[in-house]
Amino acid sequence: MNPLNPPAGVINATADSILSGPSFETKMERLSETEMLLNMGPQHPSTHGVLRVVLKLDGEVVTGAMPDVGYLHRGVEKLSENRLYPQVIVLTDRDDYLCAMLNNWAYCLAVEQLLKVEVPARAEYIRVLVGELNRIASHLVLIGTFGIDIGAFTPFLYAFGREREMILDLLDQVSGARITYNYIRIGGVMADLPAGWTEKAGKFVAHMRACLKEYDDLLTYNPIFLDRTRGVGILSKESAVSYGVAGPNLRASGVPLDLRKMAPYGVYGKFDFEMALGKNGDCFDRYLVRRNEIEQSLRIIEQALEALPAGDILGKVPKANIRPPAGEAYAHIEGARGWLGVYLISDGSLQPYRMHVRAPSFISLAVLQEILKGWKVADVVAILGSIDIVLGEVDR
Amino acid sequence: MFDYFCAIGNMGWAFVKGLGVTFKYLFSPAVTVQYPYEKLTPSELFRGALAFHPDLCISCDMCVRACPSNCISLEAKRNEQTKKKDLQWYRIDFAKCNYCRLCEEICLTKPKSVHHSREFELTFTSRNDFVVEWRPERPQPKALEPGQEWVKFLTQGRPPGRRRAKSPEGKK
Repeated sequence: MNPLNPPAGVINATADSILSGPSFETKMERLSETEMLLNMGPQHPSTHGVLRVVLKLDGEVVTGAMPDVGYLHRGVEKLSENRLYPQVIVLTDRDDYLCAMLNNWAYCLAVEQLLKVEVPARAEYIRVLVGELNRIASHLVLIGTFGIDIGAFTPFLYAFGREREMILDLLDQVSGARITYNYIRIGGVMADLPAGWTEKAGKFVAHMRACLKEYDDLLTYNPIFLDRTRGVGILSKESAVSYGVAGPNLRASGVPLDLRKMAPYGVYGKFDFEMALGKNGDCFDRYLVRRNEIEQSLRIIEQALEALPAGDILGKVPKANIRPPAGEAYAHIEGARGWLGVYLISDGSLQPYRMHVRAPSFISLAVLQEILKGWKVADVVAILGSIDIVLGEVDR
Repeated sequence: MFDYFCAIGNMGWAFVKGLGVTFKYLFSPAVTVQYPYEKLTPSELFRGALAFHPDLCISCDMCVRACPSNCISLEAKRNEQTKKKDLQWYRIDFAKCNYCRLCEEICLTKPKSVHHSREFELTFTSRNDFVVEWRPERPQPKALEPGQEWVKFLTQGRPPGRRRAKSPEGKK
């Protein structure tokens, strides 16, 4: 008897341990005669970190899937309960390490709501600049790694190794770090833009526009890539909304929802840009939405560079002992992976009483169990790559 | 049949187009930096290894409180004559430091007594070596050349005559 494939009704210890507990039992039901379980991860290179997906297979067809998260759990939410308010920013850097700037921003917005401080106009523009640059960097990781998942290695070298590196250099000059910036602070930003930075950023925008055409030649309109992604892993409008998916994954399904347009935070109301939208909600649309979003981000950066005002970069916030009044606040921004929200409760002390992060990739990951059904094992990697998760944020 | 050859043609054209991009870069200059032999200069604000100046420090404990990972510790003794606190020792555990600049920002002295240098090559051969200790009685170089202070200060930060620094908990 195959231990992974017990006959119906027979409780097998080995199979149970693989299913790991009652949650898998209830979700995956029992295996039928022709089905087997396959563990994908947590050490699988295409799970983008340490994610384990338990797949129920009938031959080569996936009939059920259970993502199993928690391998990268560091307890950021709990740790923040005994950190001072400015120290928590350092922890949020480590949540979603591909767009740490946006994490800082979401957290700082929540604290600013509690403190009711005004952010100077220059700081708001700098936030938009670095945030959009970071969003591009994050989408470039998707373009690169999604290509690798499907078998196209070259775009990775250009997107990840060259253009993203340029962005990291720009952000390094601004903040002093490449990945964990700790740059956006409560009430403003850490430091002013160094001399000559705006010209460099302007040059980068022009360079990036030319590079997008190269990606199109290498990847976007490559027939092999299209065959692997078009019509694969369709996420319908209804199920995307019912799962609470937001961001590029939702827009790929054709739902026009973007916080930068709907509820502009900061100075986003002043910029002219379009929402990148998909139609079918398949892997290709999820890829294309991100590729088009890079173009829109470049437009925003261009406008922000032009309109960058002079002035202070930090509002009236005490240097030490930030003590927000008791109360609660929820702030959300359009992160690179969806709505990134931070819920804060303050009890009037130096440390947050509770911090909760609405992690967009955690919610996108939940959809996986639905959209994987009916696809082949080879498509699992493509679908998982296209929903663009960061395990640091999923597990927190 | 026509579709079949169309597909082959499409694939071939995509192949040519993709290879065209890579072929173009065959004639562009290489961007790889041969690391140990040539090095990139870090940016002005780069947050490298922490440097400390015991002669400037007023032992106010602000950096100890500001550090999110508890990597800084210090001990000070009250001087009855000057009515000020004298620094006894100052330790940074580089294994815990996450290079966030919070200690530098909160530092009250001018120039800053604890600050990030632009040194990025941080190698230790033992876990105990990560704990670096500074004591004011040791002579300090006066020049504060950015980029060069690491070698001077960190070597003087370690107790002389002993390879490994004491663990912060005391004798072990």
